[in-house]
Amino acid sequence: MAKFVEALALLTVDDNGDLLAIPKDVLDCAWAGAALLDLAFAGRIDTDLQGLVVVDRTPTDDPGLDRVLGKIANRPFGADARRWIRELASDEAANIRGATTARLAAAGKPAAPQRGWPWRSGGRRRALLDGDRRAAFGARIAAVLQGDEIPDPWEIALISLLDACDVLVAILPARAGDSVPARVEQLRGLDLIGREVAGVVADIERTAIRAVRARAARFRRLLLYLAGAATAGCLATLALPRVPISDRFGAVAFERLWLRDPWQQWSGYALLAFSVFGLLALLALRLRAIARAGGTHWWRLVHVGCGASCLLLLFAHTGFRLGVRLNAALMGCYLAVLLFGALTGIATYGARPLRKLDALPKLRGHLLRLHWLALFPLPALVVVHILVVYLY
Amino acid sequence: MSRKAAVAVLWASGTLLATVAAVAWMTVGGPRTVFLVGDTTGAHHQIEMACETCHAAPPFASPDVASKALNDACRGCHEVELRDADDSHAATLFRGPRMARYRQALDPRLCTSCHLEHRPEITRPGAVTVATDFCIACHGEGEQDVRAARASHAGLAFDTCATAGCHNYHDNRALYADFLLRHAADPPHLSVPVHEPSARARSRQAPAARSAPRPTAPAEAVTEAALRAWSHSAHAAADVNCIDCHAPAAATGAPAAALAAAWVATPGTASCVHCHDAQASTFAQGRHGMRGHARIAASRDAAGALTAVGFGAAVGDAVAAWLADPPRPSAMTVAEARLPMREDARHRTLDCVSCHSAHAVDVQFAAVEACAGCHADGHTSAYFQSPHYDLWRAELDGGAPGSGVSCATCHMAKRKHGGKTATSHNQSALLRPLEKMIRPVCLHCHGLGFSLDALAHSALVARNFRDAPAAHVPSIDWAVRHAADDR
Repeated sequence: MAKFVEALALLTVDDNGDLLAIPKDVLDCAWAGAALLDLAFAGRIDTDLQGLVVVDRTPTDDPGLDRVLGKIANRPFGADARRWIRELASDEAANIRGATTARLAAAGKPAAPQRGWPWRSGGRRRALLDGDRRAAFGARIAAVLQGDEIPDPWEIALISLLDACDVLVAILPARAGDSVPARVEQLRGLDLIGREVAGVVADIERTAIRAVRARAARFRRLLLYLAGAATAGCLATLALPRVPISDRFGAVAFERLWLRDPWQQWSGYALLAFSVFGLLALLALRLRAIARAGGTHWWRLVHVGCGASCLLLLFAHTGFRLGVRLNAALMGCYLAVLLFGALTGIATYGARPLRKLDALPKLRGHLLRLHWLALFPLPALVVVHILVVYLY
Repeated sequence: MSRKAAVAVLWASGTLLATVAAVAWMTVGGPRTVFLVGDTTGAHHQIEMACETCHAAPPFASPDVASKALNDACRGCHEVELRDADDSHAATLFRGPRMARYRQALDPRLCTSCHLEHRPEITRPGAVTVATDFCIACHGEGEQDVRAARASHAGLAFDTCATAGCHNYHDNRALYADFLLRHAADPPHLSVPVHEPSARARSRQAPAARSAPRPTAPAEAVTEAALRAWSHSAHAAADVNCIDCHAPAAATGAPAAALAAAWVATPGTASCVHCHDAQASTFAQGRHGMRGHARIAASRDAAGALTAVGFGAAVGDAVAAWLADPPRPSAMTVAEARLPMREDARHRTLDCVSCHSAHAVDVQFAAVEACAGCHADGHTSAYFQSPHYDLWRAELDGGAPGSGVSCATCHMAKRKHGGKTATSHNQSALLRPLEKMIRPVCLHCHGLGFSLDALAHSALVARNFRDAPAAHVPSIDWAVRHAADDR
């Protein structure tokens, strides 16, 4: 029997070896669940009144799983599956992933590293994986989900885990995703795991799925709301009339924001700071060491959050005034960066409600490319804008 | 190099190049229109590319230094206007510590407190960029609270101070209480409606026309039309000959060859300024001639700036040409005007001969037809159906000198200066606010009350005073009542 951790390693990357768009927090939870499921299916752990206990200390052939097994065995007071998943997700996910990837890489045929324009790349490279084995896993899952055959409990658990991570759509061929939610629900309704394997497996499976779904939903919802708010902010800036200036002397204090220094100066600097921080968060996402240290989802959250905050600051700086000449070019460019970024966010994090849109992955690619292209002239325009203020 | 690195290098170098080019245009020379943060006001748009005229502070100067330079520039160009206005809120009045409270509300020492350039959205009539009720900043409370000090002002809104024809911020020469009281009994029309300065100028003894003036010009340069126009002109009568304008470098009686060599077919404004410097200096103070004002910054010397920083020979002519300021016309064209203008006049340039033809120098033509030859707004069109125009026609038909009202009578007031009556060629001087026109123009024929009512009625101004004023400005009534109360 194949291992969950191996299947997870192979199925959470795309054809190019790039990691699918799954928040690190969610994936870590999935790694923890997969490790416990592997140990449960192998008969190494069980449950008693105090929680998970080790019933067989025989090492597996996977150092990552053995480390988890040792950790459970050495705990004097037991903990239930939910607590173990939380702890393993934070402490052991990287080890489990590293050990699994190393073993797969050693066994598989290294693929040629992909080269491409930066806006074509979706994540960090995973070049050392066995493509044939990955395809076999994918085909098996597609067959189960598109056919009527009754899968075995291992397959159901894997499908549920991948579904909770929101990656089933990426694994299946185009147009196959329509019936996936119903089929997954149907398979889970059969309760094959509960009926056919030990109770500990069903318990861990249910707990892991619940934990992964909760974490995925939390980040997806937050990022989706931020991206939606940013999109609405961009459209409001473009469509709404500028905030009128009062004809009463000193009547409205906030007019000073976009009429007088130093208010306008400070909002401009704040805008610059948030823009640079948003850009640095993007760079952090691309630098593996930093991304690992902070967690990609947090950097992604910072990136999207900075974009949404920039719209508030842009309002404080301009009051919906689009400017003329150089300022109009700067405003147009800035809004294009924010709008295409926000739409990319919607296309990415709204994947579940928008999954029926076949063109979504392609659309997301186009939006991401436009987000990058609009960014290119922005630094020069910002620098010249600041220089104009200080030189004149 | 990977594609990703190539893109990064391309991006960084493109950003650097664009920034360097922009900085070069801003600091050395080249086109700068793109950097304008907002449209310039109608008064300054002619000189908007002479940025250094107003932005005279060094780059990255502190806000205080930049503000001082800006305000010095305002006062430099508007010096005569401010002096003539007998400024009610002169900056010198607000220097003491007693005035700190007022300075905090709206600093009257700085022109830029109320007049900001490149802010079309908040620019109101008179290029004012603060709310119309700005008087409340100092007169809303305390010892300066006019509503408490004057019973007649109780309950008045502050946005009516300067818009109802009662007060102006700078120029109140025709609006202060004693003046109102002095003219309280004025009838609407004076018994002898004559504009005295105009009458003096028009009844001035013209030099006797010479019977057969002899032009001093190369024979091939003299046309019959030019000769006829010149021989009936004041120039011919005053013995100003062709050579004085067309060949000032040649001596009178010079040989034909020397005269031909020095001959300038189309002499510029400089030849007029040589004798008419007073007219030229007032012309440069108005909108028609402001491009010729002495304080307007010259085009930047790109080659000199490059040489100064050590790039002179190295950069070559091509870069120096690329960094040269775009050619800046020395005079305004009609096409650049923001007022309604005649389509067939758009090509014209505003210099001396635009209004005074080169050889005839006809001041009557310059007083009406020259204006109507370009301006196509309602006020100009309505003039020809107005009582003022009828009076002008009557004067031309032999009426008393100064009894007619031409465009120049109101917009280019004649003044007695040093024993002579001279025409101000600053046609904008009496326009904003319109009450500036009362003393030098209106009061020669009309009473003060009638003048205030007429000028406060904008629709009547647009109709060029064809009807009697329908609204009444109560300032004289209030001044009389206040004086009676004081007694």
